[in-house]
Amino acid sequence: MPYYEASQEWLRQSALLLEARPSTTRITTAYHLTNKTGSSKKRQMRRQQQQEQLQTATAATASSPAPRASLTIKTYDPHSGTCLKYRTTKAAEVSRLILSLGQLGRNMAALPTDTDAAIADAGVAEEVGTPGTEKAEGRGSTGGNTGAKGQIQTQPQTQTQTQTHTQVQTQGQGQTGGGGGSGGKGKKKRGKK
Amino acid sequence: MGHLSNDEFFAKLVDLFDSAKGKDHGSIVLTQKRLSYDQPLPEPTDDTVPSDLHPPRPLPILIRATNGKGKEDRKANKKIKLSTVVAPDSLPAFFERYAEICKQGMGSLKPRDRSKRKGKAKKKSKTAATTA
Repeated sequence: MPYYEASQEWLRQSALLLEARPSTTRITTAYHLTNKTGSSKKRQMRRQQQQEQLQTATAATASSPAPRASLTIKTYDPHSGTCLKYRTTKAAEVSRLILSLGQLGRNMAALPTDTDAAIADAGVAEEVGTPGTEKAEGRGSTGGNTGAKGQIQTQPQTQTQTQTHTQVQTQGQGQTGGGGGSGGKGKKKRGKK
Repeated sequence: MGHLSNDEFFAKLVDLFDSAKGKDHGSIVLTQKRLSYDQPLPEPTDDTVPSDLHPPRPLPILIRATNGKGKEDRKANKKIKLSTVVAPDSLPAFFERYAEICKQGMGSLKPRDRSKRKGKAKKKSKTAATTA
């Protein structure tokens, strides 16, 4: 199997694999130290020459370059043969990756996952959110003349059309907000001068 | 070899990472999987659904660490193998410490590159100075 470009995608696929085969799937984290990043002999020769040049140029700081390392994470299920991999060389990613191993560990242990809870919360929020927008629309339509027209229009129309109506309203609000923002920018510039 | 306690495992893992520090080759391999050996699982009631998908209670996790040596080195007793079992309740605490140790142990990875951002900031300040 190929390597994933994004660790997020690796995490998602691994969670799915663990969901399907929680008892046989294993996650291997391999930290490899290596002083060569390529295996071709030409490249090695070129690198050696470069290093020699560097060492002759900067004799004062002739210490050997810091060894390079890479971190490979692999999720493997021997029963189905599925193998999901991700590779990185950045130290900044280590902490996040190990903590995501912990998340997957929750799946392995058959504990309720954080993501499940988050999805459940999102579902509740959506259910609450839709009637909220309708209420907002109702308030807006009672406001001015144009609002009253909107009310008359929406009553015979289908739900999808009412949604577009709300979108237009929100856009209008966004525009006014943008105006205010630009005003703020202007003030900032004046302050600088 | 029997399993170590979590604290002993962490202590030996630090040693393992320290032994790899300053070397230009070598590897450290960490593995985790559900501990299914010797664990009571109910008999499958239905052939279509495997019994391990929804166990009645959470299962522990097995964590292993080795220095990736084999064959000749194994004979010379150079292979290091560590393993520990993490109870389901102590998973979050374990992984917090685990992440901290790994972050410190994997010191040969590329550090965050700050030189670019600094360069940009300098450029910005220069242009600002010229316009003002």
